[in-house]
Amino acid sequence: MNKSSSSPSPEYFDYKHVGGRFMGLVSVAIVSLVVSFLLGMHHPKQFAFSWLFAFFYFMTIVIGSLFWILVHHGIDVEWSVGVRRQMENVASLFPVMAFLFVPLIFVAPRLWTWMTIPHGADIQLMEKAAYLNLPFFWMRAAFYFLFFSTVALWLRKLSVAQDKTGDPKYTMMARKITFASLPFFAVCLTFAAVDWLMGLDFKWVSTMWGVYIFAGSALSSLCVILLIVTALRSAGYLQGIVSERHYSLMGQLMTAFTVFWAYIGFDQYMLIWYANIPEETIYFLRRNTESWCTLNMILVVGHFLIPFVLLLFRNPKRRPAYLCGVAFWILLMHMLDIYIVVLPMIHPAGFAPSIFDVLALLAIGCTLAAVFLKRLGDVPLWPLRDPRLKDSINIAV
Amino acid sequence: MERSTTKMMISTTTTGFSTAPIYAVGVEFDSARDLYHAAEKVRDAGYKRWDTFSPFPIHGMDTAMGLPKSWLSALVFIGGLTGFSTAAFMEFGASSFLYPLIVDAKPTNLMTIPAFFPIMFELTILFSALTATFGMLALNGLPRWNHPLFNWDRFKKVTEDKFYIAIEATDEKFSLEETRQFLQSLGGSHITVIHHDE
Repeated sequence: MNKSSSSPSPEYFDYKHVGGRFMGLVSVAIVSLVVSFLLGMHHPKQFAFSWLFAFFYFMTIVIGSLFWILVHHGIDVEWSVGVRRQMENVASLFPVMAFLFVPLIFVAPRLWTWMTIPHGADIQLMEKAAYLNLPFFWMRAAFYFLFFSTVALWLRKLSVAQDKTGDPKYTMMARKITFASLPFFAVCLTFAAVDWLMGLDFKWVSTMWGVYIFAGSALSSLCVILLIVTALRSAGYLQGIVSERHYSLMGQLMTAFTVFWAYIGFDQYMLIWYANIPEETIYFLRRNTESWCTLNMILVVGHFLIPFVLLLFRNPKRRPAYLCGVAFWILLMHMLDIYIVVLPMIHPAGFAPSIFDVLALLAIGCTLAAVFLKRLGDVPLWPLRDPRLKDSINIAV
Repeated sequence: MERSTTKMMISTTTTGFSTAPIYAVGVEFDSARDLYHAAEKVRDAGYKRWDTFSPFPIHGMDTAMGLPKSWLSALVFIGGLTGFSTAAFMEFGASSFLYPLIVDAKPTNLMTIPAFFPIMFELTILFSALTATFGMLALNGLPRWNHPLFNWDRFKKVTEDKFYIAIEATDEKFSLEETRQFLQSLGGSHITVIHHDE
């Protein structure tokens, strides 16, 4: 409760911290995009699956950021005011995600094979035709991006507008938008996961799929936010805004969502394992055989056990460096998670790494990072006049 | 009845059975803010056996009082481990060693764990929760029939709109006069010497 933190002066990101690395990012993004597309002409199938893997990996992170903003406005969270601008910056990448989705349109029939099956040829597909048909599929995809982009950009706009006047009406407005969009958010996230991932095998069903993707999404985006905030702090920003108490709270949420991911993942597995219905078991038959089984075991240990033990005790969670290490590890494991979801579909014989995996990750990751840096410098680094900013700074744990 | 003999004008009353030993000296505050800052001063004065009382939890009070980390989390951890191993022992003991029963062509070795894990999880939660509840009560010295603080009539307002600090007589630094004067300096009102029941 010291007085110096009561009115911190506004901070803007200075590009001197990035320097030439920005152009480096852009050139890596362009080169890997071009190489990926050129090579992809000859190996369209591998290109399609690698691109979907990388696309959805980053998509979960951007979706998760929007989730944390909605939580913030929905339940009036105090602590996250200081880090909210970074969530807004990440969530504002949705239009870029829509742009990066375009390559998938060209290779869609190779990914989602139900598109190639003529009407009436498959009885199971006919039963699902009311949902799995081309016009509805593309309309849904367009709606997801339209909805996510609108909400994310609108909330960010209100937040930035509040920086100038400090009028609480923006907070009230954001709350209304949040409650109106929460149901749509859940539906869009669930059906995006159903359309693009579950749709890789149209015969497979799992009612827990949307929640499973959501759990990994919320966890990994929290890790990204933590890393961004730490990077800004180590560059000298946010000093009076984000303290060890905020790290402690983020660490607690990381613990909670690590457990939540395991809970949902295990539930899905156990129900399928127990019921033993062919339409459901096909998913795990593919992934618990050959070398995929090893990777799946690594996922159980690496995505749950290791972070769980690392995050269980209180005192280490107050150390930013420690949490950053755990966050890096979780992001790596989340990548493996999405990898095991997508790639076994074309490599049933086992783990087969491809240059396309790396190229797609580089192309999408660097593009997003470059646009993020642009967004970062456009606006102040935290909501300057949020009515709850002081509560956030002085938060007690 | 003991009388204040100090030269300073301290309006002190006593309560409880005046023949019984002194339990503590109490002081009343009007707001959580006053209580918070007073607690910081008591902490800095070096008292160890004392407590704050308020109608609601006050964020950051543990820092203001200088309380160390609670042992409760360690108890809960042990409780959780006990629950987990109880379930593992009873499930694998019965279904893998004593009487292996093949259900639905599922294995009876370590790979049965998906079927057993829900029980392990639930018992971990159950034992942790029960340890947390009863451990908290035990660490607070509860349940008990009565408390000397209830001899102080004004203290009833602690469930309403008043805030209190009581420094116990068993504290090493406690001396009736000095503690009374110290509490006076904190800016509270109704400084009262509270006796035990008998």
